[in-house]
Amino acid sequence: MPENDIQASRKAKAKNRPKNLNLLTIRLPINALVSILHRATGCALFLVLPIMLLLLQLSLSSAAHFEAVVSILNSPFSKLITLGFAWAFFHHFFAGVRHLAMDVHWMTTLMKARYTSKIVLVLGVLATLVLAIKLW
Amino acid sequence: MVIELLTKRYPGMRAWLMQRLTALIMAVYSVMLFLRICILQPDTYAAFLEFFQPTWFRIASWLFWISLSIHAWLGIRDVFKDYVPNMQVRSGLLKILVVLLWVYIAWASWLFLT
Repeated sequence: MPENDIQASRKAKAKNRPKNLNLLTIRLPINALVSILHRATGCALFLVLPIMLLLLQLSLSSAAHFEAVVSILNSPFSKLITLGFAWAFFHHFFAGVRHLAMDVHWMTTLMKARYTSKIVLVLGVLATLVLAIKLW
Repeated sequence: MVIELLTKRYPGMRAWLMQRLTALIMAVYSVMLFLRICILQPDTYAAFLEFFQPTWFRIASWLFWISLSIHAWLGIRDVFKDYVPNMQVRSGLLKILVVLLWVYIAWASWLFLT
C-alpha cells in the first residue's frame, strides 16, 4: 500500500512541524502592530458595550441618576479607565479609516503603508492626550 | 450590478462589504456625535435630555447601533475563527455572541426609540 504509506508519512511530518507560538520571538513590523491593535481594541470596545448602555440608561432616567453617573465618571480611577477605552476607540477609528483608504487603493505600497501606520499610532495617542487634558 | 456580483458569486464578499459599509456609517455618526457634543456641551441633566430629544438623532443613534452590531458580529466571529480551533467551543461562543448582540439591540432600541 504505497498510497497509505505516503499519507502516513505526510501525517507524521505534519505532526513534527515546529510550532512558533513564542510571542517573544515573533518580530512585529509596525503594520502588523497597527493591525493586531485594531483587532485587540475592537474586542475591548465590544466588551465595554453593556457598560455604555447601562451608563446611558442611568443618565437618561432621572436627574439624580445623571448626577450619580457624572460623579462616578469624575473619579480619577474612572477617568483612567475612560482614557484607556477612548484610546481603544481612537486607534480603532483611525486604523479603520486607514483600512478603508487601502480598500480604495490609497497608500498601498510598503513604504506608504508604514508611513500611514505611524500616523495612525500617533493620532490615536494624540487624541487620547487631548481628551486627557480636557478631562483634568 | 457590482454588488450583486460581489454578494451572489462570492458570498464571502458580502461580509467584507458589510464590514466596510457599517464602518463607514459608524465613522460618520462618530464625527457627528463629537461635533454635537462640542457644540451643545450637555453638562446638566436638562441639557442632556434636550441633547437626546430630536427624532433624527435618535434614529441616527439607532442606525449606529444596528451597524455596530453587524460590525461586531463579523469582527468577533473572525476572532473566534482564528483563535478557537475546537468547533464545539467555537459554535457555543458564537451562540453566546448572537444572544448578547440581540439583547444589546433590544436594549438600545428601547433607549433610542421609546
